[in-house]
Amino acid sequence: MATPKGTHFVITANILGSGAPAYRRQDGSWSTNLQDAHPAADEAERDRMLADAASEEADIADPYAFPVRLDGPTIDPLSAREEIRAKGPTVPYRRPDAAQGAH
Amino acid sequence: MKVVVKDKRVVEDAWHVVKDDEAAGAHTIVSLARWNDHREELLAGGTPIGMVLRSNESPDDVRDRDRLALIAVDFPAFTDGRGYSTARMLRSRLHYKGEIRAIGDVMRDEMFLMSRCGIDSFAVKPGKDIDKALSAFDDFSVTYQAAADDERPLFRRVHR
Amino acid sequence: MYQYDEYDQKIVEERARQFRGQVQRRVDGEVTENEFKPLRLQNGLYMQLHAYMLRVAIPYGVLSSKQIRMLAHIARRYDRGYGHITTRQNIQYNWPSLEDVPSILDDLASVQMHAIQTSGNCIRNITSDPFAGVAPDELEDPRPYCELLRQWSTFHPEFAFLPRKFKIAVTGTPGHDRAAIRFHDIGVRIVENADGAPGRDGAKTRRGFEVWVGGGMGRTPFIGVVVRPFVEYEDLLAYLESILRVYNLHGRRDNKFKARIKILVSELGAEAFTRLVEEDFERSRNPDLKLERTELERVAVGFAPPPYEPVAIARGDGKTLAERSANDEAFARWLKTNVLSHKIDGYRIVVLSLKKQGIPPGDVSDTQLDRMADLADRYSFGEVRTMHTQNMVLPDVREAHLSEIYDELVALDMATPNFRLLTDIIACPGLDYCALANARSIPLSLELSRRFEDLDYQEDIGPCSIKISGCINACGHHHVGNIGILGINKNGEEVYQLMLGGHDSDSASLGRILGPALPENQVADAVEKVLAHYLKFRTDSEETFLDCYRRLGPEPFKQAAYGA
Repeated sequence: MATPKGTHFVITANILGSGAPAYRRQDGSWSTNLQDAHPAADEAERDRMLADAASEEADIADPYAFPVRLDGPTIDPLSAREEIRAKGPTVPYRRPDAAQGAH
Repeated sequence: MKVVVKDKRVVEDAWHVVKDDEAAGAHTIVSLARWNDHREELLAGGTPIGMVLRSNESPDDVRDRDRLALIAVDFPAFTDGRGYSTARMLRSRLHYKGEIRAIGDVMRDEMFLMSRCGIDSFAVKPGKDIDKALSAFDDFSVTYQAAADDERPLFRRVHR
Repeated sequence: MYQYDEYDQKIVEERARQFRGQVQRRVDGEVTENEFKPLRLQNGLYMQLHAYMLRVAIPYGVLSSKQIRMLAHIARRYDRGYGHITTRQNIQYNWPSLEDVPSILDDLASVQMHAIQTSGNCIRNITSDPFAGVAPDELEDPRPYCELLRQWSTFHPEFAFLPRKFKIAVTGTPGHDRAAIRFHDIGVRIVENADGAPGRDGAKTRRGFEVWVGGGMGRTPFIGVVVRPFVEYEDLLAYLESILRVYNLHGRRDNKFKARIKILVSELGAEAFTRLVEEDFERSRNPDLKLERTELERVAVGFAPPPYEPVAIARGDGKTLAERSANDEAFARWLKTNVLSHKIDGYRIVVLSLKKQGIPPGDVSDTQLDRMADLADRYSFGEVRTMHTQNMVLPDVREAHLSEIYDELVALDMATPNFRLLTDIIACPGLDYCALANARSIPLSLELSRRFEDLDYQEDIGPCSIKISGCINACGHHHVGNIGILGINKNGEEVYQLMLGGHDSDSASLGRILGPALPENQVADAVEKVLAHYLKFRTDSEETFLDCYRRLGPEPFKQAAYGA
């Protein structure tokens, strides 16, 4: 089954410190929760948000945009890659609840 | 005048690259083709002349190498590592005694490696703090392998 | 193993300090991400899907118990309690934070370890035979040469920015390559030359190196070519340096997917390439680059044989072993698959399987590492090895200790009796972790491991390697699996391409695609049908899957997998 078409775009990057995936909110701040992302409605808004993100190298690295589908209020990341990025590995590992840098 | 790192100090000097259709005089750095074809004319002025080797050009192709006061080795992107071999061949294999200068995408973090390859001056790229760049030469106090700065591997320099 | 002297130690400490400075400059904004990226890659630090990933070097796969305890500590303190053994004998951590990495490097340096050049367009970890120094069929221990090459390649100033990554492997067993040298950018084979010229100390034969170039997997897999059948041992560094120089100057830099040395060799032709290398080698005749006997001996000291017990002690009375083998089927099975012969009478090589069903292949927990260190101290002169097949090894175990070690390993989930069998699967991290991947590989490996868990069935099949990669970069070595599987993304769906007949040792071969890619839920069935065909049509139980495939060709297997 082919991927359903995207209706919007989400801007994402990796948080510089933890490397965790982050999603850009409407106010320009970053959340680690995909559902907090502001879905850009068209390419112009996407490009504007991306340009803003690109200038924020102090906090994040490698910003890019990816297509999503809005399903009511829920953001569907569409691709397996972005779904895994948002939800974590689909396979078992030792301490999935370990906070970043927990000792 | 340009500010560069030379002999591990920040200095000013007049070396600059000129295009093939620009006048060449004292402290100008010309292209390989221009030097090879017109070196007698260029040297006739009696002033120091330099030449640049682009990353796809070979030091073997330079005629009358030793009459050049300076050879610039271009790093079009700092990830293009051909200049390291070029500099090392110039220094170690061809025994070039003049100044070898790194130009192009030159930054602090590559300068230690460049100096090991025989490069003795650095046109640090604009926007980078050139005084801070001097700390690059202290990156490592021990090196393993032979290079242009010392063609003996560590095991020949010290007793291990 | 090799012990660092003050010079080795200083280098890793200064490197850790250098990286601390580079991280600070990144955090302070003095360097951009683009400027920082190659620097952090040269310290083995990747940005992956969920977090950074740090790849720690395990030079030629050798570890001391002290080092293993540190790896356990790092997993516990800075990560999520586990690490992953890679197909280049290294270990990867999937969850470090950027600001912790300098401290991790300091900790590693304190036990003579580092993450130097485990990524980036530079010379990577020198890998080798995991049974180096203990295999009965070995000509000469390759590890001293590996260590010399490690030092030579570490921060080699001329080769820090190559067109692409560069991988070197060394084998000391000319008749049985366990280091896959034909699939490396440079492969080195220790050989003996009886051409009449006297060897060292007047020996009748000379030892030297057969040098291969241009092997590799990835988008365009190649089996390497021999560039020189005999390099004198003292010319090893100089000759390799000439190969690197030719690559540095002439390797393609216009296209990332055509930048490996294998492409250069292919495009120039082996003859023209060899000529360039020989010319450079001739011209750079630097007597100082010749390998000094005293230096080789200095390094080799660390790899001298440990104080083996005489066979009577090592073997014990042999009764426990015999009795238990006769009465304990599980133990007997493990003995048969995971315990290998050793060059010293009374000793064995013990493979520690990291392929327990339900665990991603190659993953190892902090507890396992800590306990493994204890086992190494108690039973194996304090040494452990990593394998590029993602298992680990206790290289020097007395036969008299096998029974008690088995019980320890069972308790640690490291006694799965499947070494070289069907469920000894190699898989890259895949789309669950890796930013380069197109498809997941671990779930498929877990499914296949479940499907084929029956040990009698696996034993009947005999040696058969399954290797899974989640993208064309082939970190799972799928091109050289007897059964290779490549995960690809087709219109948003993960599908899997099967290939058969790959082999990474002496009679090397690249796997051939069997047929159209399959959705994940059809792969296990297809593999089972392929195996059923093998079982039905092999000449006898001695004919391996690989030999049977080579004899029958792909057609009947394709029919079996895809046919009605």
